[in-house]
Amino acid sequence: MGELASLDPEAQKILAKYDQKRAATLPLLHLAQDKVGCVTPEVEAWVSKWTDVPVVRVREVVLFYSMYRQRPAGRHHIRFCTTTSCVLMGSEKVLGYLKKKLQIENGAVSADGKVSLEEAECLCACEMAPMMQVDGKYYGDLTEKKVDEILEKLK
Amino acid sequence: MTEPILSRNFNVPNAWKLSVAGPRGAYETARKVLLAMKPEEIVQTVTASNLRGLGGAGFPTGKKWQFLPKDNPKPVYLVVNADEGEPGTFKDRYILERDPHQLIEGIVLSAFAIRSHKAYIYIRGEYVEPYQNLKAALDEAYAENFLGKNIFGSGWDLDLVVHRGAGAYICGEETALLNSLEGGKGFPRLKPPFPAIVGLFGCPTIINNVETLACVPHILKNGAEWFANLGSPGNGGTHLFSVSGHVKKPGVYELPMGTPLRQMIYTHAGGIRNDRALKAVIPGGISAKILTAGEIDVKMDYDGLKAAGTMLGSAGVMVMDETTCMVKMLLVAAKFFAHESCGQCSPCREGTGWAYKVVQRIYSGEGDLRDLDTLLKVARNMEGRTICVFADAAAWPIQSYITKFRKEFENYILNHKKAGAVHG
Ligand SMILES: Cc1cc2nc3c(=O)[nH]c(=O)nc-3n(C[C@H](O)[C@H](O)[C@H](O)COP(=O)(O)O)c2cc1C
Ligand code: SF4
Ligand code: FES
Repeated sequence: MGELASLDPEAQKILAKYDQKRAATLPLLHLAQDKVGCVTPEVEAWVSKWTDVPVVRVREVVLFYSMYRQRPAGRHHIRFCTTTSCVLMGSEKVLGYLKKKLQIENGAVSADGKVSLEEAECLCACEMAPMMQVDGKYYGDLTEKKVDEILEKLK
Repeated sequence: MTEPILSRNFNVPNAWKLSVAGPRGAYETARKVLLAMKPEEIVQTVTASNLRGLGGAGFPTGKKWQFLPKDNPKPVYLVVNADEGEPGTFKDRYILERDPHQLIEGIVLSAFAIRSHKAYIYIRGEYVEPYQNLKAALDEAYAENFLGKNIFGSGWDLDLVVHRGAGAYICGEETALLNSLEGGKGFPRLKPPFPAIVGLFGCPTIINNVETLACVPHILKNGAEWFANLGSPGNGGTHLFSVSGHVKKPGVYELPMGTPLRQMIYTHAGGIRNDRALKAVIPGGISAKILTAGEIDVKMDYDGLKAAGTMLGSAGVMVMDETTCMVKMLLVAAKFFAHESCGQCSPCREGTGWAYKVVQRIYSGEGDLRDLDTLLKVARNMEGRTICVFADAAAWPIQSYITKFRKEFENYILNHKKAGAVHG
């Protein structure tokens, strides 16, 4: 809980922006997840405390949205687009290569904890298909060689 | 080609900063209008411009604004839909990332027009870089008093909050967005009541797309007639078309409404990669019915595409060349809809799940010719019986891919079956 308590001043600022407390649910979950690494029961209780939303309700919200994680991601998180334009431009081959290289499937973290992989629906950067996000940053026109270079630079 | 309007700053380095956007005219119109015009006059001008919502439905913007109740004691909210998620669409990302001051100016003007003192921008959670630029622009706008109290000395206040989504396509639907903004699951609401009457926190609310609001400063600067004349009759202005897939130059193209699709693909986007033959085009995001290569002599506006049996939707144009396997493309679409259904209505939840399973079966070589009619039946049962139009949108790719490429689906099933039989 100590970790979360350090976020209290920020939580107060967020709450001040909204007309109703419960509207702060999503931003508070983002804030806490960024700090803790995932949404733990403690995070849910902390959000519940600030928003006056019952914990079960907070939990429903957590489960509804794909960006909230129950388990920690890798040090770097990849979202790999698997929708129409990316498939047209050869995403399947590059994704297959990436999985083999990292030896992981969708939703998993690499053995060294460095990278986690999430297959995503259109990330709305189809002009650079096939594309992925690493820690939110866009990488497009992917090839196997480009994937090698990107992964190499990750610490 | 006409002068770029919405995209005029897209290739100007650092135009997301006020130090660059300011000297290029940002907020000049807002300053003039807030001191000189009445809210009703703005609503009238926007109505006369024929601006239609650019988030997919094409509803006339001025008309929507006029739905707000008169003499209402509650606060009025302006909510900006920046939850861009329709596959094949990336235009709002360009505005958010490259020219956020254009959007903020549009918000200031539109909020003033509808007498709102509080606006929210709901931005897609995965849009990390666009969010950073938007947030920086917002802070600058507050620092310069383009937002906040007594804006431009007009005596009028506006607060603007940026709210990040958390990964759910359905939150782009306006009432799901409201539920999400209120802190709940992104479940669409039954309409009526429409948000203009009962919206955010139970108060009258106008929801507009990013691009729609970005048009407003230009309309007020140059006049309603100027804007209306840019497009085709009843379809005012230019539009940001997102073009992707098998074209030589994918990207965002700002073109007048009504530009022929053929010209868009072959002139603006450079034609098909490796000069291959065209096979099919999705003209308005993954939900729009597909057009075959023989059907591309259509005008790209609401009315033109409706006449062609499809829709402009989000204006996300996805181009497929002759090497494309339609069975695979239907699999990708069916997966998308099965993943993104919010699950509230059983025809949608079960229909999208079932359709995905049947297409998977066909794709893996275990299909049967009868599966095609099964799919069409599943699709028919999803249409028109749900809380929101997501289920209809999920039915359209199934219907249009199978009807227009039936022979290919049949051959796929027969050929892959044979291969399966050899292996026992
Ligand atoms: C399933 C679904 C998804 C939608 N996604 C978006 C979206 O990502 N962005 C958007 O602006 N509108 C989206 N819309 C349309 C909105 O419901 C709404 O019509 C729009 O935001 C209104 O703004 P406009 O009149 O300025 O277009 C979606 C609609 C549906 C049914
Ligand atoms: S149609 Fe589908 S997405 Fe829309 S409310 Fe019903 S279940 Fe949810
Ligand atoms: S389909 Fe991959 S980013 Fe749109």
